[in-house]
Amino acid sequence: MKNKGYLPISLLLAVLLPLLLMPLAAIFVFAGRGGWDSLVSVLSSADAQFALRFSIIIASLTAIINAVLGTYAAYVLSKYRFRGREALSVIVNLPVAIPTVVVGTSLLLLWGPIGLLGQFLDPLGIQPMFAPAGVLLAHLFVTFPYMLGAVKPVLDELEVTYEEAAYTIGASRMQTFRHVILPALKGGLFSGTLLTFAHSLGEFGATVMVSGNLRLRTQTGPLYIFAQFEAGNLEAANAVAAVLAAFSFVLFFSMLRLTRRRGRAD
Amino acid sequence: MRFSRKEAWGVLLHKGARVLLVALVALFVLWPWLPGVSAIPTRTLVLYGFSILGEVMNQSVFPAFQANWLARTGERVELISSFAGSGTITNQMILGVPAEVAILSLELDALRLVQAGTLPGETWKTLPFAGVLNRTPFIILVRPGNPKGIADFSDLTRPGVGVVHPDPLTSGGAQWAILAEYYSALLATGDEQQAYDQLLGVWNNVVAQASSARAARTQFENGFGDALITYEQEALRDRALGKLNADIVYPASTILSEHIVVVLDNNVKPDQRAVVDAFVDFLWSEAAQRLFTQYGFRSVHEQLNAENADFGLIQRPFIVDELGGWPRAKQDIIDAIWKQRVLVEAGS
Repeated sequence: MKNKGYLPISLLLAVLLPLLLMPLAAIFVFAGRGGWDSLVSVLSSADAQFALRFSIIIASLTAIINAVLGTYAAYVLSKYRFRGREALSVIVNLPVAIPTVVVGTSLLLLWGPIGLLGQFLDPLGIQPMFAPAGVLLAHLFVTFPYMLGAVKPVLDELEVTYEEAAYTIGASRMQTFRHVILPALKGGLFSGTLLTFAHSLGEFGATVMVSGNLRLRTQTGPLYIFAQFEAGNLEAANAVAAVLAAFSFVLFFSMLRLTRRRGRAD
Repeated sequence: MRFSRKEAWGVLLHKGARVLLVALVALFVLWPWLPGVSAIPTRTLVLYGFSILGEVMNQSVFPAFQANWLARTGERVELISSFAGSGTITNQMILGVPAEVAILSLELDALRLVQAGTLPGETWKTLPFAGVLNRTPFIILVRPGNPKGIADFSDLTRPGVGVVHPDPLTSGGAQWAILAEYYSALLATGDEQQAYDQLLGVWNNVVAQASSARAARTQFENGFGDALITYEQEALRDRALGKLNADIVYPASTILSEHIVVVLDNNVKPDQRAVVDAFVDFLWSEAAQRLFTQYGFRSVHEQLNAENADFGLIQRPFIVDELGGWPRAKQDIIDAIWKQRVLVEAGS
């Protein structure tokens, strides 16, 4: 049964209005303040286009790689018993708690041209930092826990009897995973991937450290926004911010619709 | 599950809309790599610059060089650039960003690059004008109508005047400002004690410190304090764009900051040498220097400055060489006087 009381709803709105809704609306108001023409000219500039394009590519790659990596990690951590499992489960969740700037710095000190490993790679002509590869590395690190968090609880809850049944009729581990576990994970996989994608789209702290913030080479959407803000071009900053916000809205909205329809169909 | 016909259409439509959306995004993302679209330039040049140079470089100087290079070689060169505080980009270069050319707000940052081994020596001294690209004096911004009647640095020491100042520990602009606050009084009086008193007086009135010259401007614009010591260039640029909500006060005597070009030879690959050299030469050409003056910078070619009527008169401008160069000014004034005496006394 759904409640129809208006008081709780208006209370929620009253809280969310200054906290969430007004700041979001401000993005669009300021994006449109220079008029339609300036919005179009900002969004058609090479810098803004590159930044958006680069952000989407990095976010897609991050989502795909972490979907595989995160699911695998969740599977091992959930289904295998070994020494240090608990500690490892905590450690893989740490990226959420560590400031992203620290993540960026530590990646630099590891892979950068004067870093721990980087100093041996540099003479070979391999330089992951200040290049798209560095941005991808940073995003993989920062978003890793999201996939894990979406998939592991489902795996933990999954009745072992189904798996055991599969084994008794002669299924291999791979077959069991493919036909028994994966279908149960669908929802978690889906929301985890989207969450990873969205988070990567908005990542700033680690990216600004490892990318070198180079326009037309490693500048993501959020870095473009910050650079324009620094230079005092609020319209340009807000135009790209509005595109990113709208894109995320469509993303989450379609996720909601999809999961709801699936819920009804079952 | 069973759908009515209407529902089935709805699902199909949704699916279609989703596929269309994904296809559109994919098309946008992959556009530069599609056959027949050559959006990827053949040659690039990586430039790091301190913040106030971003606009003039991206909007004017680089496009002019681009046209120049295209006419000479038939090749399209694209600028890969990053603009941030001078200290920040210096740290980035020490950590190894692939900068080929950099423009720093003060020579001290270039010396840090030498110390870190990023530059083999003081190589900028071999460039035209010993690497000085352009200049801009430090001026005082006051509230519209100048309600506190501020006419010079000495007025900033009066009780009740609130000064917004960038933090010298992180801001290059703040270090220039300290030299101006101290040496202008020394020039006027010839007395070190009075110069010290003026510097101390200004710092007793500092009501807000910001991490960069840009951040200090933002604080001032948001209503903090009565006066801000900043670059003339930014004030002139804002006035030209109609964004300046303050009056400019020209001190009788102030410092002209000098912005240094460095070429990071370690990062310049052999096939990039020609374009890097051409770009660096172009920076001191009359065309480029005139563009700088249009954006409020004072050119190293004096005759060009006469063409810009916006530049205010400073009776007795000075440069850091008059103070014995940056290493000495840093040691004698910033460290020995400001950090060890003024900061201690003003803080107590």
